[in-house]
Amino acid sequence: MCAVYAVAGGIAAIVTRHPLLIKSARHAGMATCGLIFLATFCLEYLFFTDNFSVAYVASHSNRELSSFYKIAALWSGMEGSLLFWSFLLAIYVLSVLITYRNKNGELMPYVGVVMAGVQAFFLLLNNFVESPFKALAAAGPDGVMSFITRPDGNGLNALLQYPEMVIHPPNLYSGYTGFTIPFAFALGALLARYPGEKWIHLTRKWTMIAWMFQSCGILLGAHWAYAVLGWGGYWGWDPVENASLLPWLTGTAFLHSVMMQEKRGMMKVWNVWLVFTTFLLCIMGTFLTRSGVVQSVHAFAQSNIGAWFVAFMGITLLVCFGAYVKNSDYLKSENHLDSMISRESSFLFNNLLFLVACIAVLSGTLFPVFSEWFTGSRISVGAPYFNRVNIPIGLLILFLTGVGPLLAWRKTSTESLKKNFGWPLLIGVVVGAVAFTFGFREFFSVVCLTLCVFVASTILLEFYRGAKVIRARSGASYPACGIDLTMRNTRRYGGYIIHMGMVFVFIGLAGAAFNRDVQKSMRVGDSMQIGPYTLMLQGGDSKAEQNYTAQRMIVEALRDNKPVMMLFPEKRRFAGNNQENGTMVAIYSTWKEDLYVVFAGMDPETREPVIHAFLNPLVKWIWFGGVVVVFGTIVALLPNRRSVLVLAPSQQPAGVKPLPHAVPSSVALREGHD
Amino acid sequence: MTKGCLRIAAAMLFGFAALPLWLAPVGAQRISDRAKQIGSKLRCMCGACSMTAGDCSHPGGEFSGPCQAWALPALQQIDGLLTQGKTEQQVIDSFVAQYGPTVYAEPPKSGFSLVAWVMPTAYLVLGTLVVIFVISRWLKKNVSEVPASNASVKAVSPEFLERARKLAEQETEE
Repeated sequence: MCAVYAVAGGIAAIVTRHPLLIKSARHAGMATCGLIFLATFCLEYLFFTDNFSVAYVASHSNRELSSFYKIAALWSGMEGSLLFWSFLLAIYVLSVLITYRNKNGELMPYVGVVMAGVQAFFLLLNNFVESPFKALAAAGPDGVMSFITRPDGNGLNALLQYPEMVIHPPNLYSGYTGFTIPFAFALGALLARYPGEKWIHLTRKWTMIAWMFQSCGILLGAHWAYAVLGWGGYWGWDPVENASLLPWLTGTAFLHSVMMQEKRGMMKVWNVWLVFTTFLLCIMGTFLTRSGVVQSVHAFAQSNIGAWFVAFMGITLLVCFGAYVKNSDYLKSENHLDSMISRESSFLFNNLLFLVACIAVLSGTLFPVFSEWFTGSRISVGAPYFNRVNIPIGLLILFLTGVGPLLAWRKTSTESLKKNFGWPLLIGVVVGAVAFTFGFREFFSVVCLTLCVFVASTILLEFYRGAKVIRARSGASYPACGIDLTMRNTRRYGGYIIHMGMVFVFIGLAGAAFNRDVQKSMRVGDSMQIGPYTLMLQGGDSKAEQNYTAQRMIVEALRDNKPVMMLFPEKRRFAGNNQENGTMVAIYSTWKEDLYVVFAGMDPETREPVIHAFLNPLVKWIWFGGVVVVFGTIVALLPNRRSVLVLAPSQQPAGVKPLPHAVPSSVALREGHD
Repeated sequence: MTKGCLRIAAAMLFGFAALPLWLAPVGAQRISDRAKQIGSKLRCMCGACSMTAGDCSHPGGEFSGPCQAWALPALQQIDGLLTQGKTEQQVIDSFVAQYGPTVYAEPPKSGFSLVAWVMPTAYLVLGTLVVIFVISRWLKKNVSEVPASNASVKAVSPEFLERARKLAEQETEE
C-alpha cells in the first residue's frame, strides 16, 4: 500500500507541485523500504528459529543447517529470492531518497515515482504471487484443512552450501537492482525535461556501484561453478549465465558512452536508451531465470511467473517509449566530429561491439525458443556456438580497450598515434611471436595474448608518463608518484586499473584453449600423469560434519618426483529430507596453471574410486583480474584529491610566437583524458 | 593414543568400504579421442547441464541429474559406431535421428539454423555501417557548421589551428 501511495501520491505531487504532497510521497517511499526490511528480517527470523510451519522455510532449510547458510537460504528459492530482490532494491531506493532529500527538487519526485513503481511490481509478486510466508496445511481425517508444522525441513540445495554461494547472489542481485537507479533518473529526467547533463552526474556513481556488483557477481558465479560443480569449467554459456552478462554488456557500453554526453553533449538519445535497455535486460534476466522458458542448469527457483515479467517489461517499454516520443526534443544533441580518428569514434565502435555482443548472446540464448516457434523442433545453441561468435568480438573490444583511452577528444594527430602506440604495439607483436615460437599455437589465444600485452603496455605507459611529470616536480619515487597521479584523477586512472583487470581476465581466458584432462580408476598406491604432475592416490576416509558426511580421497600431487601438495577431493552427502550429494574439488593453483582434481565416483566394474584430473592453464589470472576490476572501480568512485584543471607554469618553446586570444600560457587544460 | 589411532584407522577403513554403498557409479572406461571429438559436436542430453557429450565431466550424477548416464554411454555408442566403419556424419546423423536436432551442440549450418550463424555477422556488419554513416554525418555537419558559427568572429587560419593544437597537445601530455 505504501508503494502504491508513493506512486499515486508522487504523480499527484508532480501535477499539483504541492510541497507537502511531495514530502508525503517521499516519506511513503521511505516507509516502503522500512517495511520491506521488516519482512526480510521476519523471514530470516523464521529460518533461524527453524519454524517449519512456513512452507518456504520447510522447503529450503533443516535443523542441522549452519547459521551461515540459513542466511543464504533466504534467496535459495523463488519466493525468497524475489523478496531478497525487493530488499536490495529498498536499500538503493532508501539511499537515494535520503541522499537527495533536500536536493534536485524538480527531478526527485519523478525519480521517486519511477523507483516506487518498480518496487510496487516486485511487492505485488511478493504479496500475491510468490509469497514466502505461506503456512503449511494438510487435510485432516475429516477433510478439514489445518495448519501443520513439520519436524524438520528438506534442507538447502547441496549446490548452494558453499561459502561463495552466500556472496554470489547478493552481488549479482545488487547489480541487477542497482541499475534501477540510473533507469529511474534517466526516465525521471526525460519526463521532467530536467535541464543539462546533471542526471548523468548524479547517476554516475550509482551506475558504477551497480556495475561493480554485477561484475563481481558474474565472476563469483564463475568461480562457484569452477570450484563446486566439478566439471572443470567456469563459464558454460548457460542461459542464466548469459542473462547476467547481458545488462553487464549494455551497462559497460553506457559507462563509456556517457562520457561523450558529459564532455561533448553528444549521444543523449543513445544514452537514455542504453539505460532503459540495461534495466529491461535486468528484468529479462530475472524472467529467464525464473520462468523456465529456456533450459538451464540453474533450476533453483522456477515457477510460472514469466507472464508477470513479460507484462512488466511491456509496460516499462511503453512508458519509456511514450516519454521519449513526448519529450524527444529535450534530447537534442549537438553531434559533430572533427576527425574519424578521435576518442568519440572509438566510443562509438566500443558501443557497437558491446551491443553486438549483447544481441548475439541474447539471440543465441533465445534461438531454441524461436526455432521451436518457426520449425516445431528445438535447436540447441551450446557453448561451441557462443565461443565461436563471441571470441572475435571480445578480442575487438580488448583491442579498443588499449586504443580508445589514448586517443584525444576531437582529433588525434599522427605523431600522437606513433608516440602512444608505437612501443606497445611492438612489444605486443614481439611477445606474440615469441609465444608462437614456443608452441602457443592456438590462433585466438595468440591474438589474445598479443592484445593483452599491447593493452597492458599502453596502460603502464600512461601511468609512467604521468608519474614522470609528477616526479620531475616533486622528486618522489615512481610508485608514490603513481599513487599521487591516480588520486588526482581517480576516474581516469581508476578506469585504467579496471582495464588492466580486464586484461588479466583475458589472459586467463586465453588459457582455456590448452585445458587437458585425464580420468582413471585408481587403487591406493596407483598413480597417473597429467602434464608435469604425478597424482598418487594415498587413500580415502570419511568425516561427519554438522550437516553432511564427506567421503574424501587423499591424493598426493608430485612434480619432478617432489611432493607439492596433498589434495582432498571429496563428495558430500547432505542431511535433510532430500539427501542431496555435492562435490568439493581440490585445486592446486599457481599463476601458470591449476591442477584441478575431482573425486568422480566409483567405477561400476572395479568398484575402485575414479579420479578425474584437469590441468587448466592461467585460470588464476581470471580471479585476480576480477579483484583488480573491483579495486579499480573503488578507486574511480573516490573523489579527486585535486582539481583536474592544473594551474602550473608551462614551458613555452623558444621561437614560438604567443597565440593571440588563446588560453593563458599559465593554464594547462587536461581535457580529453577522462 | 593407540586406541585413538585405531579408531581413526577403523573409521577410515569403514568409510572407504562404505563408499560404493552410496556413491553413484561412474565409468572410467577408455573412450577414444575420435569419439570425444565427435561427442563435442553433440549436446549432453542429461537435462541437467548445457555441456557437450565430449566435454561433459559431471561426476556420476552428483549434480542435478544422471549426466554421465547419458554422456558416457553416448561416447561408448560413438566408439561402437566408429568400429563398425561409420563416418563422423553418419554417427551424428544416427544421434539426430534418435534425439532430433536438439542434440546438436551448435546449430547446423543449414535450413532455419543458418539464421543463428548469420545473425551475429549481420549485426556486426549492419552496426559498423550505421556507425560509419553516423560518423560521416557528424563530420559533414561539423564542416557545414564551422563557417556559420564563425561568421561573426574573426576567421582563423588552418595554420593557426594546427599550431594551437600542437601547443595544446604539448601542454597536456608532458
